[in-house]
Amino acid sequence: MDFVVNWLANVPGFAVPFALAALGLIICEKAGVLNLGAEGYMLVGAMAGAGVMLSLDVHPLAALAVSALAAGLLSLLFALLVIALRVNQVISGLVIVFFAQGLTALIATSQGWTNRAFSGLQDLNFGVLSSLPGVGRIVFQQDLMVYLTIVIFAVVVHVLRATHVGMRLRAVGENPEAADAAGVPVGWYRTGAVVVGCMLIGLAGGYLSVAVSKIWVDGMSGGRGWIAIALVIFARWQPWPALAGAVLFGCIEALIPRMAAIGLQLPQYFVLMLPYVVTLAVMVWTSLSANRRSGQPAALGQPFVREERR
Amino acid sequence: MAETTISTAAARRSFFGRFNLEVRGHMPMGQQMLVVAAGIMLGLLISAMLLVVSGVKPSGLVNEFVVAIFTSRRNVAAVLSYAAPLTVVGLAAALAFKARFWNIGLEGQVILGAIGATLVANHDFGPPALRLVIMALAAMAAGILWIGLPLFLKIKLQVNEIISTLLMNYIAFNLLLHLLYGPWKDPQSAFPNSKLFDDVERLMPIGWQNLNLALPIAVLLVLMAAWLLGMSRYGFLLNFVHANARMARALGIRIVGLTLLFALASGALAGFGGFIISTGIESRLTQSFFVGYGFSGILIAFLARNNPFAVAFFAILVAVLMVAGQSLQVFYQIPFAMVQLIQAIIVICVAASEFFIHYRLRMVE
Repeated sequence: MDFVVNWLANVPGFAVPFALAALGLIICEKAGVLNLGAEGYMLVGAMAGAGVMLSLDVHPLAALAVSALAAGLLSLLFALLVIALRVNQVISGLVIVFFAQGLTALIATSQGWTNRAFSGLQDLNFGVLSSLPGVGRIVFQQDLMVYLTIVIFAVVVHVLRATHVGMRLRAVGENPEAADAAGVPVGWYRTGAVVVGCMLIGLAGGYLSVAVSKIWVDGMSGGRGWIAIALVIFARWQPWPALAGAVLFGCIEALIPRMAAIGLQLPQYFVLMLPYVVTLAVMVWTSLSANRRSGQPAALGQPFVREERR
Repeated sequence: MAETTISTAAARRSFFGRFNLEVRGHMPMGQQMLVVAAGIMLGLLISAMLLVVSGVKPSGLVNEFVVAIFTSRRNVAAVLSYAAPLTVVGLAAALAFKARFWNIGLEGQVILGAIGATLVANHDFGPPALRLVIMALAAMAAGILWIGLPLFLKIKLQVNEIISTLLMNYIAFNLLLHLLYGPWKDPQSAFPNSKLFDDVERLMPIGWQNLNLALPIAVLLVLMAAWLLGMSRYGFLLNFVHANARMARALGIRIVGLTLLFALASGALAGFGGFIISTGIESRLTQSFFVGYGFSGILIAFLARNNPFAVAFFAILVAVLMVAGQSLQVFYQIPFAMVQLIQAIIVICVAASEFFIHYRLRMVE
């Protein structure tokens, strides 16, 4: 029983980065922009958050805000490439990852931020509720971001589904020609979606360093950005299923340290492969199930060039 | 040159404000190369400014990147010894990209190739005279194994290969750590390394500086890749498929077979790259021998537009960056990550410059 409580209590912390990153990707991709740079934005967010925590005396939430802003700033470069200059979105996404890997390692090393622990975001305490047996640990002893993530999901779902802006954004991703003809500024909508989406991905990265590990290590996002991309396909570009997928991966990641803690003798590195193997399995499962293409924005990955209309 | 504009476009606001975007017709090859060269120069300029901001004196820049490298035989040899595996991995990327198979898993295939070669070396399979050949074959088989799964999933189930090949990188890295911290750890080394290869398991020197057989092999592979892409019927068929896929299908060309051929060749080459790095440079398996090769291979193939000779050229450019980066690290404490950053900056500038090959901006009257 203790094992289960300890395990489940750790799940939200591991699930939040996947959830926020997947949500950010959904916003980009709903607008028709294929964003393979998630791993890069997570790194930038994680480093920016850790840098603020180490060099300024501010609240961790401020550090998280800087994480989001830093990733948003980098996303302007990506937007310039794919939206204004119509560069291939696959290459642009990949090169953003390489750029971010180099940049974060360079800045963190030269500032001496690497491998320095700090006190990050702490768990909330709801008094009596938090001391309830079992449930208290799992539901009422989490940090603020865990609860905020659910709020962010609700807001994004509402905006995408029920507002004018959300409707136009989806139109831009499904049929940019029609949206353009209806007077929607396609380029600006896509730019906005990329910046907002990447800010959420940066927030996910910031959460990794500021709330989970409370330290910066080069390349610390460890492939979570790529897993988030797979999660979006798995969730068929819908936010709530993406959250469910994120919780599933949170369960797997939270299990890894738990198994070691109870003294299970498993080959460590094979256990560490688990999230990637499961992601592959999830991708296979997604493609085996019926109507696998449903949900993918029709214009995903295609640059919009008005003057090229046929 | 034919330019297509649509008259109604001018009536609505362009994304570029007072400028309208026009699609260019074909730009002559010479002009295209000029545009790409301008992109590279811009990237180098930005990188140079970044280095100056990080504390390298401008005179130091000239010294590290030009004087030190081209006036010292040792440094020329160092550049060439890095350029050989970079060329091989770059060719691996080019073959896959040419077949529109986004093999982002080069790093994993390089790791597996080295693991395959080390497996042979550890157990001394085969007669010593043939040991290197067996190691190379094992490396290629391991590379094929590692691209095989994503390839199968792509062809049979349309699983996105960008993500699946990338995930395989992480699986390969953890497998490498398992071996190096576990069964393959050299008890005489304080670090997680495999034991040193025997003399018969290292590439023979070619008699100039510390260069070994890796260099002539890389040159040979460039020629073979050029033949495969430019002169063989497979290269011809591939071009045909990309020019008109429907026609190709109607004529009964087996597109899947072509993808299979080029992707498997890509995996085999990447595995072979792992063999070259482990036997030619490190002489053992280490936990970081592969760092940078996989990603650089992808960027090199992109810059070279999958042309094998251009791959060799850009591999040398990246090798210069790597050698200069090492001395910048020693003399100016610039982190080695700068090398990766500079590569990314160059690629971003070249990608951006290609905009001017395909489009032009014209002021709205």
